[in-house]
Amino acid sequence: MRYRFLLLLWLLSDLLLFLGSFALAYFLRVGFIFSSDFPFAPFIAAAALASPFWLLVLATTRTFALGRRQKTLRNLAYIAYASIVGCALFALLYYFLYDVFFSRLLIVFAFAISAGATWIWHVLFETMLRIALTKDPPQFPTLIIGVTRESRRLIALLKCSRNPLFPVAILDGLGVKEQEIESVPIRGKLNKLDDVLVQERITHVIQCSDLEQSLNLLSACRSRGITYMVLPSVFGIVERDEKIESLEGHAVTVVSPQRKWWEWFF
Amino acid sequence: MQTFILAGGFATRLWPLTEKRAKPLLPLAGKTIITHLLEKIPSEIPVTVSTNAALAEGFRRWKETIERPVELIIEQTRKDEHKLGALGAVAAWIEASHLDDDLLLLTGDNYLGFSLEEFLRAFHPPHALLAAHDIENLAHASSFGTVLTDPSDSRRVIGFEEKPKEPRTTLVSTGCSILPRTALPIVREFAAKQPENVGGIFEELLRQNVAVDCFTFHEPWLDIGSFASYLQAHRLLVGEQALVDADATLETTACTGSVSVAAGSRVIGSELCDTLVFERCAITNCTLRDCVIDEECVLEGVDLRGKMIRAGTVLKLG
Repeated sequence: MRYRFLLLLWLLSDLLLFLGSFALAYFLRVGFIFSSDFPFAPFIAAAALASPFWLLVLATTRTFALGRRQKTLRNLAYIAYASIVGCALFALLYYFLYDVFFSRLLIVFAFAISAGATWIWHVLFETMLRIALTKDPPQFPTLIIGVTRESRRLIALLKCSRNPLFPVAILDGLGVKEQEIESVPIRGKLNKLDDVLVQERITHVIQCSDLEQSLNLLSACRSRGITYMVLPSVFGIVERDEKIESLEGHAVTVVSPQRKWWEWFF
Repeated sequence: MQTFILAGGFATRLWPLTEKRAKPLLPLAGKTIITHLLEKIPSEIPVTVSTNAALAEGFRRWKETIERPVELIIEQTRKDEHKLGALGAVAAWIEASHLDDDLLLLTGDNYLGFSLEEFLRAFHPPHALLAAHDIENLAHASSFGTVLTDPSDSRRVIGFEEKPKEPRTTLVSTGCSILPRTALPIVREFAAKQPENVGGIFEELLRQNVAVDCFTFHEPWLDIGSFASYLQAHRLLVGEQALVDADATLETTACTGSVSVAAGSRVIGSELCDTLVFERCAITNCTLRDCVIDEECVLEGVDLRGKMIRAGTVLKLG
């Protein structure tokens, strides 16, 4: 519930930010007056009409996904792409509605401001979101399966970056002597799975080892409406050079031979 | 004589099959593992089964299905770390029941191929008696309690080592023993110090100069503690055949090796090899090899090899 409310707030704030960016571009280009030659009202109305489509394009880039880091260049590229589409939609809508064109520089301003402002806002909102979602009790209590180097690193990373997926318990197929990792308790072997899923109200399970139990972990997750994740290292892909691609419409994990950077397309 | 069967383990290595049932209650060739054991115990010997609160319900239901009276002792623990320990449970029962009788001590997850009557005939109080089996593999022996016998009299135990790092023999103890009534105070005393160490009681008896005899047998013995040993036990008991319950359906299905299909299950257009299908499963167009499919699973169009599948799993090829 907390997450849904915050997500809705995020979407609404993005809409307002898009409109604000266009308004700012208008005032920067036209001057801080309401021009009678280029009236503000039809301009902002066209921007308002374009804004839901822009938001839809932005959403398809999965920038609002729970695990997405906002501060990355890749994310900035997605946001810029959505802004280009938003500006193009705005220009088209304005032409169709009023049958006129206007300053091309204003469009450039609108693009630069909306892309930049959205990115900065997303970085800030992500920080607030992470604080809100990891506050006790965490919104997404996560169970880690397997005590391995990879799972230790993952737990440390999740905790350090205040990821919304908050590790609350660890189980290991064979059992280990340690009592906890990064203050996350090791609750025992997989025979405790059902108890832990219920007691900790687990929403996400991340499998880091015990490949032979994948089917059973997935079965337990499906039956309880829990999101299941698996690290590529469980399948032996430890070099982090895997990609998820599509093979005749089926998602497949791909590890390609290493190539020179200029050969990436071919 | 009284029989005490230890059946309180949580069997974590057999998860998920033991998620909601105790290991001795796993089906094996048409009946549970503990039923195989129970059938070997002469009917005049009273039987007590010790388990814990988490597994008790299964044993209560099992008790209703068997023909001879069995007393159930429920240890009020639900977690492994809270258990009394196997020997602790024996000692608690000896104390509670004021036992003053010889005690046949069995572990509920073992399959014993030999005749228990023959074993009982080898018991000569006040000597203790343990059943030992030569596993013919020194490396594997370190997982068991090893039994050293007198070179001049192979029936006399001169040493016992519980899970030694460097075993000196391949003769191992098999979870079947008789403790004479005279040794029960030693059991209680030792259990207070080492409640987990069932095997250690033989070391203690020898230390206190109580004679321990060895009953060496060559018939099959299986300690069903892992997926591999469970499948091995199934192969041994079922042989090269398909054991299909009268209430199960098998249509256009090829079975090879040892196959069991329990009541209420339906297997259509599939291939099964060395596989156990528990109750009320629906399997269509699948190839299953070395698998154990727990209750109420629905599998469609999948190939599985070497898997234990959790009860209620639904796998349909998308």
